Amino acid sequence: MKIYKILSWPLMLALCWAINSCKDELGNIPTEESEKDITGKWQVTQLTRNGEDLSKRLTLDNFKIDFNADGTYTIADNLPFVVSGSGKYRLDDPQYPFSVVLSPAEGKADIVLKFQFPVVKGKRQLSLVMSLGCSSNTYQYNCERLNGGI
Amino acid sequence: MKKNTHYSTYIYWAMGFFLALFLAQCGLKAISVVVPKSAKANERVTFTMKCGAEPRIQGGGNYSTQLLAGIMVPKGWNARKNLTMSFTSPKGNGTMRIIPDSELEPVSGLSWHQAAKKMFGIGPNLVDDMEWIVFRSTQAYSFVNNEDIDFTVKAECNVGAENMLLSLGFYIGSSIENLRPEDTDYKKFTFSNAFEVTDGEGDLIDFINPQLGTVQPVKSLDNDIITLTFDAGVTNTVLDQEAAIYLHVKAMDASGKLIAEIKKQTADTKLSDIGGKKYRIDIWPRGFFKLDKDVHIARLEYFYSDVTGTKSVGYGNTDAPFKYTFRCD
Repeated sequence: MKIYKILSWPLMLALCWAINSCKDELGNIPTEESEKDITGKWQVTQLTRNGEDLSKRLTLDNFKIDFNADGTYTIADNLPFVVSGSGKYRLDDPQYPFSVVLSPAEGKADIVLKFQFPVVKGKRQLSLVMSLGCSSNTYQYNCERLNGGI
Repeated sequence: MKKNTHYSTYIYWAMGFFLALFLAQCGLKAISVVVPKSAKANERVTFTMKCGAEPRIQGGGNYSTQLLAGIMVPKGWNARKNLTMSFTSPKGNGTMRIIPDSELEPVSGLSWHQAAKKMFGIGPNLVDDMEWIVFRSTQAYSFVNNEDIDFTVKAECNVGAENMLLSLGFYIGSSIENLRPEDTDYKKFTFSNAFEVTDGEGDLIDFINPQLGTVQPVKSLDNDIITLTFDAGVTNTVLDQEAAIYLHVKAMDASGKLIAEIKKQTADTKLSDIGGKKYRIDIWPRGFFKLDKDVHIARLEYFYSDVTGTKSVGYGNTDAPFKYTFRCD
């Protein structure tokens, strides 16, 4: 029993030292949030209108949006959207974005879309909320990236 | 160590039993409402909810919470801008404030208003152009065991400018209980009998009686996605024996000039059979009519037809077309 007591002190000291050293290491790991990258071709996979899921009632095959690396976007012709054609886009905050700001090429005013960028089943999902016509009607588009990346 | 595990099991069982007993024996009374049969357009109307609390707190102690009250009205009333709520009770009277959209109901992760709509729906209304609006008392109130009280909540709002027939929704709840789907004790809701708005603008919008043809959303523009529904169960029509129903539709501009007409019976114009003798089609008018950027549809005129296009049904089962005007207000 005495031996256990004698040995326990050095063991405790070793443990404290180990925990302390871990803390230092953890403190050195950079924790800065990465910038969000939404570039790519996005396919609408789920579409709701005022909370009602219309995904299986509409043909979503051609509902696509391109967010290009040069900061431009292109909306597919067949996609009901708040703007049509192409223009420039930016995130309101590259690290903690709450919205995507679209600047249409036609020179119309900027459009601000509510934005979420969750990881669903290991893949990034782009979720955009907008009103297409009347402001009382809210649409949510959940999109998946077509060109591979997460 | 084994003994400790044994004890902790008993403690968890006891906590679970206490919680079950507490939930089973405490809550709100059923809600009843006083709603006038009708009101004139734009009139300010008072709707009254009567409810009560029955605190049965096992083992004594206090139950402290804020009162929640909600009302479901047509979006067109713009009730968020003019709705007020207040309550009277033996524990004091008070005013209530709308819960901000930014505050999420913890169980659903939605705003309280959206969560209420998801939980309670639109009741006997057949057309979804409704919104739930949830208010909360500015003060919290503490209850001791068996401190049963009855209280009354009054909601006042303007009824909007359009003629309509609808059923209103009402909700009473407790702020600390949230909107748990399994809970039946702390959230009470009900829907009113028919309420009519008279002496207003336009034809009567009937939310509660089945219509041969309806369009959702009730208010939209040509860039919205709209759903046209044909309810063949409302009355006998020439399409009763038809296996497939098609849409024949004209798009008009603000001056009444015809912009485009689609009357071919194709996959694009075929309605889906959704059961119960109901058929529907979802269209995005701008894409459906392939409109140029500067062209805007003000109104649709449409019929439902058979596969040959020879038999068709219009408004009220007549030869006149169903009409739908694109507007937001």
